[in-house]
Amino acid sequence: MTRVWSAFISWRLVSVSFLAWVGFLVGGTSVGAAASEYGLKWVQLSSDKRSFVVEVTGLTSKVLSRIRASGLSAAGWPKVLSVFVEQRDPMDELGIPPMVGTYRVERGVILFKPTYPLQPGVSYRAEFRTETLPFAAGAQGLTISSSFKVPLVQSAASTVVREVYPTSDVLPENLLKFYIHFSSPMSRGRLYEHIHLRNASGAEVVLPFLEIEEELWDPSDSRLTLFIDPGRIKRGVQPLEQVGPALETGKRYTLFLDRDFKDGMGNPLKEAFAKSFLVSLPDRDPPDPATWKIESPKRLSRDPLMLVFPEPMDHALGLRMIHVTNESGSSVAGEAELIDQERRWRFTPDGRWNRGRFFIQVQTAIEDLAGNNIGKPFDVDLFEGVQKRFVNSTVRLAFRIF
Amino acid sequence: MKQPFKTLFLSVASAGALVAGAQAASLTDGMKEGTPTFKSAGPLAFGPGGILFVADSKAATITAIATGDTGAAPSSRGLKVEGINQKIAGLLGVATDQILINDMAVNPISRNTYLAVSRGRGTDATPVLIKVDLEGQLGVAALEKVKFARAELPDAPVDGVVGQGNRQSNPRQETITDVGFLEDRVLVAGLSNEEFSSTLRAIPFPFKTVEKGTSVEMYHGAHGRFETRSPIRTFVPFKVGNHLQLLAAYTCTPLVQFPVDDLKPGAKIKGKTVAELGNRNRPLDMIVYQQDGKDYLLLANNNRGLMKIRTDQLENTENITTPVPDGDKKGLTYETIANWTGIEQLDRFDSKRALVMRRGEGGVLSLESLALP
Repeated sequence: MTRVWSAFISWRLVSVSFLAWVGFLVGGTSVGAAASEYGLKWVQLSSDKRSFVVEVTGLTSKVLSRIRASGLSAAGWPKVLSVFVEQRDPMDELGIPPMVGTYRVERGVILFKPTYPLQPGVSYRAEFRTETLPFAAGAQGLTISSSFKVPLVQSAASTVVREVYPTSDVLPENLLKFYIHFSSPMSRGRLYEHIHLRNASGAEVVLPFLEIEEELWDPSDSRLTLFIDPGRIKRGVQPLEQVGPALETGKRYTLFLDRDFKDGMGNPLKEAFAKSFLVSLPDRDPPDPATWKIESPKRLSRDPLMLVFPEPMDHALGLRMIHVTNESGSSVAGEAELIDQERRWRFTPDGRWNRGRFFIQVQTAIEDLAGNNIGKPFDVDLFEGVQKRFVNSTVRLAFRIF
Repeated sequence: MKQPFKTLFLSVASAGALVAGAQAASLTDGMKEGTPTFKSAGPLAFGPGGILFVADSKAATITAIATGDTGAAPSSRGLKVEGINQKIAGLLGVATDQILINDMAVNPISRNTYLAVSRGRGTDATPVLIKVDLEGQLGVAALEKVKFARAELPDAPVDGVVGQGNRQSNPRQETITDVGFLEDRVLVAGLSNEEFSSTLRAIPFPFKTVEKGTSVEMYHGAHGRFETRSPIRTFVPFKVGNHLQLLAAYTCTPLVQFPVDDLKPGAKIKGKTVAELGNRNRPLDMIVYQQDGKDYLLLANNNRGLMKIRTDQLENTENITTPVPDGDKKGLTYETIANWTGIEQLDRFDSKRALVMRRGEGGVLSLESLALP
């Protein structure tokens, strides 16, 4: 669909002296035109309300053929026709380059197609300068301009925080991370301005998170990983005297997300979010599969298989690092969930369970809430002998269906 | 890290261009011609022969692009571009707050600057490579019909499981925090958004079609003799005697030295912690340079300014194996360069100058070449 937004064109003659008849001589031929004959049109392309081309109309066929013949270079075209992002203060426009795009002469017009779509709410100005046409050297010309804005349609704020993991409201002093799940994709670039950790009196804990400029989002930009700065996690008897730990046992904290945290469409959240929790003793024990309980399903049923932990496990790793295989190592297809405050892994198979021996395969890199792995706490004294080889191993928990 | 290690030891710029030119042919072997596209752009690093490595965290790829930008710099002039973010916004047709500059790298041959930019911050964000020439003119780097090759970063395999049984989509993503070129390999530092670990991959270059690269986990002793698996923020290769070393700056903020020869597939490496640079500080970028016959390291930080470190002191610096009592700083001594403030990006501009991206008054972001301290 092509739509001409002539109604939005605001004419502005930059050079007042050319308000009336303007002409210039080129190679002895007058190719002038009345100022009013030239036009700048913003033409919408396709159904994308942000994709536009700018057309210069009112050029005689003689002028157009001379422009074609002149073979204007990529560097020469923007001097003739260009589109600028308008700044609040015109002085700020000095030195700002015009928008990048491609130029064509066709259907009796000069056409500029910006490489990128226009941003709604931003004001743009197209400028056409006759004196910079390659065959108009030395001639007086005119500049016409046209400003245009794609209306900013304010949609209602609808994005919410869907869940924060861990879901428990009692968390260990050496908690390593939060996962924040949003209902829609979010914006990048200002993350740490919008997330706060506050103590019981409402005072902000200073720099509690590991601030990663790149921001740790999932591929859909709707799940954020927030690491507590390991330098702020209290270790044994050596508290960090200078800044102190981010979390302390027995105290209550609130993880707070500002409402003006922007979603992927640039809208704020529907509402601010707060998760309040109490801090418990640090957890320095690696998860021990010997303490896990398997609840086997019945043969020929589609009952879920359960794996019950004595402590909550990391939500993302609990989902990714546990698999069910048959005796030959082929995985059993199904859907896994972590429920009961991440203390219970529930696996519902796609098909019915057959009789036989199965394994729950758990990667040892799985973590509890403090980042402890199977067989390895988060904090290891490295100077007491280092393993030279790193093995990405799994543990197998066998169960049988009779 | 932005520039190839090799050029650090060539005192004459034109010699660098000649060597780079000779290597370029073999380095482009196996590349295909076309228009590389990206899901995200940055970090960046230059290899020899005008080859630019672009890390794409969203696509989990490293793309090597033969930019063809191999003409020697036409002048020895410096560079200053004020309001670089506003100018990029103008060029790309958006409001300035919609521009994120993810990384910066100077082509050591032409001294043109390349910026990895995100146009937009939301669902319609588009990655763009911007080129700034020595005149300060900005343009979108031409990527049509260039030769390029791509290496995919593999996801961690699961031992003993055939097929993926769990139906959930995989939300794991490895964020690439730095990329560098060293002799015949591309080094990639990554951080998972799930398991807390720091990986360094050494991917042989030119990329082979099925080459998966190798992953190495690196550990350092800090925080009172405890291991942390803190992510590598930035790294730089350098030489101590005849040994290639890698110096990595971690987020919180030990400076750790590793022998490059130890970077073998599946290895678990223990580094030597040569300095603790203090809490509430993030390292941003590192470069190595020579001055009066000595090698120096320049480390830009977000909170502790710019640090100048003599690399010959690294060999004599003892490993930090005891707790740093006040969470402050320890180890290698350094000089703080006071007047280099607001630095957000740092790279080597030429043998005598660095290029910085710095934020000045009113939040104005500028590119500026500065004489090396």
